[in-house]
Amino acid sequence: VISLARRYRFSAAHVLARDEWSADKNREVYGKCANPAGHGHNYEAEIWISGEPDPATGMILPVSRLDELVGERVVARLDERLLNRDVPDFARAVPTAENIAHWIWNQLEPALPAGLLRRVRLVETPNNSVEYAGPSEDA
Amino acid sequence: VLEVTLDGPVDAETGMVIDLKHVKDVVEREIAARFDHKQLNADTPWFRERAPTAENFARVIFDLLDAAFPGRLLSSVRLWPTPDWCVEVER
Repeated sequence: VISLARRYRFSAAHVLARDEWSADKNREVYGKCANPAGHGHNYEAEIWISGEPDPATGMILPVSRLDELVGERVVARLDERLLNRDVPDFARAVPTAENIAHWIWNQLEPALPAGLLRRVRLVETPNNSVEYAGPSEDA
Repeated sequence: VLEVTLDGPVDAETGMVIDLKHVKDVVEREIAARFDHKQLNADTPWFRERAPTAENFARVIFDLLDAAFPGRLLSSVRLWPTPDWCVEVER
């Protein structure tokens, strides 16, 4: 198996809270991250693709092509945004690291050749990261 | 940067999968001695017929190391052309 990973960076703000919950309930579940004023992170998204390299080019996918896709479909939509307000999907889903990683997967998977996307690893702080590798096969 | 991962049973006496000094010597002999400060296309025989892309280079490295370590101990290699991207070959 051969894979390629590339790291992309963006900065974004979020509030971890559900509108239908009380302030107390949100604080209980999300702690300081429920602060209504929001707070920011410098995110790093590691995008993994896996596949047989093209015999002619020797590449799974040109890195420049991956840069275009991730730039247009992910970074341009998230960078310097308040996720809850500026990204329609996060008006409903709370923009936790888990949900952002899942969202990134959903932006990229349909735009890449079938089966190429292998994993999205999202680093939120030097101390926490999440990985999403697509829907589980037994789901 | 090259990351080499070996996967195997821990020796009951030494408490190690493999002696790290041995790993270092093998990688030095098999990889660094052949490729360090070389122009990959011109100075090495592996990239006459195929381009030295990260994908192709990582596969050459995997095959050389796999032949040098005993018992299918080699699990994967990760080759980082820059700190921002890597290619990984897994068994």
